[in-house]
Amino acid sequence: MDVENERELYEYISKAEKISTESFDKKIRIAILSSFTIKGLEDVFKVKCYENKILSKTYLSGYNQYQQEILNEESQLYKFKPDIIFIILDTRHILGDLFYSPYSITQNERKKIVDIKISEIKNMLFKLSESTESKIVFSNFTIPTYSPYGICESKEEYGIKQIVSEINNEIQDYFKNKNSVYIYDFNSFITKFGEKNIFDFNYYYSGDVKIAFNFLPHLAEELVGYIKPIVGLNRKCIVLDLDNTLWGGVIGEDGFNKIKLGQDAKGKAFVEFQKTLLALYQRGIILAINSKNNPEDALQVIKEHPDMVLKEEHFAIMKINWHDKVSNMKEISNELNIGLDSMVFFDDDPINREIMKQAIPEIQTVDLPKNPSAYVSVLQSMNDFHVLKITDEDKKRGKMYFQQRKRKEFKNEATNLDEYLENMNISINIKKGDKFTIPRISQLTLKTNQFNLTTNRYQEKDLIQICKNQKMIVGCIQVEDKFGDNGITGAFIIEKKSIKEWKIDSFLLSCRVMGRDVEKAMLSHIIEIAKNENIEKIIGEFIPTKKNKPCENFLIDCGFEKEGEAWSFLTKKEFKKPQHVHIVRE
Amino acid sequence: MSKKIYEIISNVMDCPITEINDDTNPESIDNWDSFNSLILLDQLESKFQVKFELDEIENVNSVKDIKKYLSNHGVVLDD
Repeated sequence: MDVENERELYEYISKAEKISTESFDKKIRIAILSSFTIKGLEDVFKVKCYENKILSKTYLSGYNQYQQEILNEESQLYKFKPDIIFIILDTRHILGDLFYSPYSITQNERKKIVDIKISEIKNMLFKLSESTESKIVFSNFTIPTYSPYGICESKEEYGIKQIVSEINNEIQDYFKNKNSVYIYDFNSFITKFGEKNIFDFNYYYSGDVKIAFNFLPHLAEELVGYIKPIVGLNRKCIVLDLDNTLWGGVIGEDGFNKIKLGQDAKGKAFVEFQKTLLALYQRGIILAINSKNNPEDALQVIKEHPDMVLKEEHFAIMKINWHDKVSNMKEISNELNIGLDSMVFFDDDPINREIMKQAIPEIQTVDLPKNPSAYVSVLQSMNDFHVLKITDEDKKRGKMYFQQRKRKEFKNEATNLDEYLENMNISINIKKGDKFTIPRISQLTLKTNQFNLTTNRYQEKDLIQICKNQKMIVGCIQVEDKFGDNGITGAFIIEKKSIKEWKIDSFLLSCRVMGRDVEKAMLSHIIEIAKNENIEKIIGEFIPTKKNKPCENFLIDCGFEKEGEAWSFLTKKEFKKPQHVHIVRE
Repeated sequence: MSKKIYEIISNVMDCPITEINDDTNPESIDNWDSFNSLILLDQLESKFQVKFELDEIENVNSVKDIKKYLSNHGVVLDD
């Protein structure tokens, strides 16, 4: 995959026509509303989705008919039932005369007009968000680069540039806590690629084209960043080579003092790349190392080099050895319990990359350019790390994985498993589904693949409804042990089928806490509350997927018995709850 | 140079290069609508490092026109 070299629009258009309707598991319905000509964007979406194994259907609203489409609930837009709606309006369109002659009226009059515009947009988006289940992505407005006031623009109260910034800020603030509405920073897109490149007066006059053709693929690439997390295609872990990837040169040959890191031009490029990685780590992306080196040499750099930004504690795992990188990668995936398709691999060596691509195509192997100056830009333009919501769990994740490594070392020291579990001081805190836990529970249902009995996916809005339903029980567990807090790492949803029978709708456990019997403790809690309500039977279900093999025997192991397609557990039977897990109920 | 122009047209219009000659026009190629016409001009601009004028953009009636406009902007078509 080459992130930097974008193809031209016509290539997408001709490819889009030839796409066969393969039946991918992942599907997305994309609607595009715009105030100007944005033909071609659909084709880019189709091709990009196809290349990511997403089956897409697109809908482009009539030219500048977005308002009618939104206001009329019978419109084609609503009939299309989109999963995501992109709205792209341009500043000229929304401001009308005010765009050209902002200073023909007084400051107060300007304010009045702008207030009306803001409330119109808010109302429109609000109406849309209430009328559909779809995610809504509203592009903010480009801040004009020209002002008739020239160098005095900054002296003017409520000048044209300030007006547009204010509209952008107001809308962003208003929807900050509305989970279905996202504001896309289109103004940044223009800044990134440059207004003079993107806006061409010739094509604006000839065809109302406001985004030059060859920038539509770049725009789509950024917007696909919203689609990937919706269909669960976001990457969680970056696996890094060391020599010429995190520092310049080869540590085994050049030695500690000769590698390029910090100081000179090349060294600065690697420091900047590390800083960019660190920022991703801080928001929840897991970092790991896969490098062919003498571990002592490489570890000395990581531990002692003054310009090393990434420290030992930032890596969830370090495979520094002479094994082949493919086996290392599989081990990393196993040990971290992160699927290969959630990983990204950075390696400067094209041969290593080719081997990895051939051996494990699920891994996204990034084609790093030869010049380390471009590393940061490559990393920053990747749209694979987006999540729909950044939770507190995400921010703590890196630290948790480091604790996990410590746990493992502890496990290796323990002589037997029981002793190890006993000494871990595991406790689970059972919480109910409420406004504090719903975002995380939703995230778990969307992202957990391995220990997930039914793989039912729930958006936050679904869970809010489910929690309101008297016939449903939603809960989650926060797991703690002697090394720290693992956060909310398990969840369950129970459907009260009748006064005698409950059904487990969802039962899942984050890979982070697998292998410690906390799932059994969670089940024992469910059985206990069922008993308290005189429930006789609990129905469980295992719906196999490509990934949930780790829990295929869970129900049998817990004493469930086959009943038709499902499994059942009679509550009069004794359930052996794990002694080493302490259960706290909130 | 004709070949380079034909190639660009064939790419943008997604049609065989053999169907293109100087008399080819929007009517003779299925995909040659007003939108693709703009994409074509944009491609020609970037491949030949020229900037067309509005009059030219608005009046593309055949490949011959395109050649004329390119030569207006100093592109030498020596075949």
